[in-house]
Amino acid sequence: MILLLPLIFALLGAVLVLGFRDRRAATRAALTIGAFEVASLGALVWQVHRQGPQQFGRYLRADGLSSFFLMNIAFIFALVLVYASGYLRHIPEGRFSSPRWFYALVFLFLFTMVSVCLSANLGLLWIMMEGTTLASALLVGFYNTEGAVEAGWKYLIVCTVGIAFALFGTIVLYLAAVQAGMNPAAALDWVALMDAVPGLGFDPHLVKLAFVFVIVGYGTKIGFVPMHSWLPDAHAEAPTPISALLSAVLLNCAMYAVMRYDAIVSRATGPAFPHTLLLIFGLLSMVVAGLLILVQRNLKRLLAYSSVEHMGIIAIGLGLGGPLGLFGALLHTFNHSVAKSLLFFSAGNVRHNFGTLRMDSIGGMSRTLPQTSAALVVGSLAIVGLPPFGLFISEFAILSEAFGQARFLVVGLFLVMLSVVFGGFAYHLLRLLGGEPAGVPSSPKLIPSEYAVMGIAALCLLVFGARIPHLFGVFLQEAIAVMR
Amino acid sequence: MTTAINVLQALLLILGAPLVTGIVGKIKAAIQRRQGASIWRPYAEIAKLFRKEDLVPPSASWVFRFAPKVLFATAVCAVAFVPVLQPSALLGSRGDFFFLVYLLALGRFFLSLGALDGGSAFGGMGASRDALISTLAEAPFLLGLVAVSIMSAHADIPGIVMWTLQRNVFDISAVHILAFTSLAMVVLAETGRMPVDNPTTHLELTMIHEGMVLEYSGPSLALVEWASAIKLHAMLALLISLFGPWGMASTVSVWGIAAALLLYLAKLTALMILLALVESVVAKLRMYLVPDFLGVASAVSALAVIFTTLVKR
Amino acid sequence: MGLVAIATAKFLGSFSVFLFLTVLLMVVARRISTSVLLFSLQSAIITAEVFAMGVREKLAAAYVVGALVLLIKVIAIPYAFFRLVDRLKSPRDVKASTTPTQSVFIAGAMIYLSYAAVHSFGQTVHVPEDALAAAVALILTGSFLMVSRKKALMQMLGLLVLENGIFLAALITTFGMPLVIEIGIFFDILVGLLLMGIFTFRIRDTFDHLDVSKLRRLRG
Repeated sequence: MILLLPLIFALLGAVLVLGFRDRRAATRAALTIGAFEVASLGALVWQVHRQGPQQFGRYLRADGLSSFFLMNIAFIFALVLVYASGYLRHIPEGRFSSPRWFYALVFLFLFTMVSVCLSANLGLLWIMMEGTTLASALLVGFYNTEGAVEAGWKYLIVCTVGIAFALFGTIVLYLAAVQAGMNPAAALDWVALMDAVPGLGFDPHLVKLAFVFVIVGYGTKIGFVPMHSWLPDAHAEAPTPISALLSAVLLNCAMYAVMRYDAIVSRATGPAFPHTLLLIFGLLSMVVAGLLILVQRNLKRLLAYSSVEHMGIIAIGLGLGGPLGLFGALLHTFNHSVAKSLLFFSAGNVRHNFGTLRMDSIGGMSRTLPQTSAALVVGSLAIVGLPPFGLFISEFAILSEAFGQARFLVVGLFLVMLSVVFGGFAYHLLRLLGGEPAGVPSSPKLIPSEYAVMGIAALCLLVFGARIPHLFGVFLQEAIAVMR
Repeated sequence: MTTAINVLQALLLILGAPLVTGIVGKIKAAIQRRQGASIWRPYAEIAKLFRKEDLVPPSASWVFRFAPKVLFATAVCAVAFVPVLQPSALLGSRGDFFFLVYLLALGRFFLSLGALDGGSAFGGMGASRDALISTLAEAPFLLGLVAVSIMSAHADIPGIVMWTLQRNVFDISAVHILAFTSLAMVVLAETGRMPVDNPTTHLELTMIHEGMVLEYSGPSLALVEWASAIKLHAMLALLISLFGPWGMASTVSVWGIAAALLLYLAKLTALMILLALVESVVAKLRMYLVPDFLGVASAVSALAVIFTTLVKR
Repeated sequence: MGLVAIATAKFLGSFSVFLFLTVLLMVVARRISTSVLLFSLQSAIITAEVFAMGVREKLAAAYVVGALVLLIKVIAIPYAFFRLVDRLKSPRDVKASTTPTQSVFIAGAMIYLSYAAVHSFGQTVHVPEDALAAAVALILTGSFLMVSRKKALMQMLGLLVLENGIFLAALITTFGMPLVIEIGIFFDILVGLLLMGIFTFRIRDTFDHLDVSKLRRLRG
């Protein structure tokens, strides 16, 4: 029953908030229902921690891994919702552009993402992943400008094609399961597959083929190179709260899906094949995105490519496996989402004040927008992996694992690209913050909601850089246990 | 006895040709909700033309007078290769479909020459267009026939027909579907039907075949018209015998032949209705699009040949 | 009953040929409405395949799925496309980036490739080779249409053909997945198409054309 609560609240939120035509009332309604949502997610996570995996019916299940990701979703969603309540004062009214539609679509989006994490059935997982694309497409194109419409179209088409390939992969895995003798009704159930795989003889060719299609398909949603073409456009043209949700939460959900398949395929054919694929995509994403960061001119596109790079890092962590690799990857999903949210919030403020995100038309921000600049600096330091912020810990763990496995090529590329990205961010930031002030900001002071949200995010990064809270560590270990 | 049937087949194709043209015209008229001319009209036309005088342009040479006779002769010879009522024909030997294709090409070639020799602008224009079409149509024609020949492991048309007769109607093979598509497109191009050419046009700019025969009159025109009708009938009969010959008489008996004749007429009617439908529904292609049309036919027939390696016999 | 059994058996054996024909015709079609009609025809053939399989394997779920395919892909979606073409009032040309001859050759190469792919995997899966090759060919054709057609509507159609191919592959190899999942997949496709339809209107309103190759503002 407790499994249903987050889903019910999300759907309820989507429907109810449409009834409030007044902007303020809609915002208040959204915040209230959002609070319930976050609370129910927290309760679910606690229940799983206390009593072990929860199951509802045949299709919904929450175990250590899902609760870890749900925790992530809840935290970021809370931050984004509070930020959005302030941000929406910038959005002009229009048909389908009003706050109530914004909140309704956001709740729908949240519903699909929570469903992804709660799916016990691979078919339902697929349906909900496609659902995330559909729910967020209108959000990406929310501003209805030329760029937004183009980005929304590309997002819709590329991700739907990618997910279609993931469907093919799901079907092939189903075929392998049925051929190996599993009951067709249970052949898409994750737990049943994990139990059956060691015993029954799954055809290794089919399983490998399935994983290839799945990683290409869901990898499109994650943003692996070369399937990433939609990502910079979508994350740059969407409204800032949506960019944060996309970068911080949606990419993680897609990674969650790949992890579920990785677990099954590793058990069936040994971890060599899936992990090699993950390493290849991870390294490719890191290298290409890292290099492209150097030539970016739009602030949000820069952040989007940084997301691609960090997804590559997570994939490398998963591909390395081992205790530290998995630890680092999972921790990184959380750290990255917090840092990226902070960065996007700052970018949103920049956009509102200067009307543009082109970095060469903004200068001297440290003097004109001191608070936003501080947030931007903190976020950038965190995202390039410097201590004392949390990402340093997770990246260090992944590097240690790579060293431990004597994969020196991986280590070399990793370090080189980290330096490249550091250089890129430094260069862009210096140009943004230093030099002569260009452009007059319209509201240089942060409103309380933005202040609070960015402050919490920065604090979180610092805390995790120092020491991972004990409870969080416990959840992390439970998640890791599921994957083994 | 077989030879007598073969002669009967040939006569059927030659004498029945104007009727085919007449029926197609009548069906087109019915689709356009007109009365249309009587189906026996082409016979009356040919008879009338034979009674008229043969006018020759003063600048024309012997080629102009010779061309219609060559065209008619090649059409009549082509008829001798097509089995209609039984799986054999008057002239049939290994590789005969090559001969058939080039026989028809010879007739077209002479017609073009005659049109050029006539000295009129329409003749020259029609001849140049026709040269393009016949060049492009040659490849799909041959490749389509070659594909069917490879499938049946026979090199002569009667042999292919006999092989097809032994197969089950429902075992449709990809090669046959592709070959039929490309050959159907070739039939439209070779016989000057829509969408490649409009056989009923009076607008000079849309003429290809009509432009070439504009200068002819009297018996020469009669021969040309009759030859075109024979070509249409022969190619339709070829399509039927290669792709749907079931019902042909395997033994020579009166009832067998009669039944075969009736079945042939039924299939021919179906093809004629299809042709009339296609002609009424599709708009004529502009000249620069005809190479695309025939290019698609070539590609489809090339695919048919490639597919013979994939599909099991 | 015997006649039905024979008919279904014959149909199951030879339907892939007609699918190849629709593939070839679709790549040379020059108007959007022709392509949509061909898609409808393709879906009708697949529906017949679903029903034939239901008769042969005696699966009740197959009839439900077949009815869904019939309603949605043969009737509803083509109708929606025609309405969309009317309301968008944009040129009906397909705007292909390859000539018809090149397209047919590419289609032929794709059909050959799909047979080659099926050959290499055919030993593990015991299914009729032609049918699976037709499914793979549909997937490749859908991708080709999406890449080579510059109109937004044609990209949507390419996506639909791609999905047709995947559905057919699932049908042939596993007689379909659990019913609930199939229904969910249909629902997703429908909503996806609805959203894409909304976006084509937005593209037309913002850019005044529907040529997606001109959507190149965001680069780098």
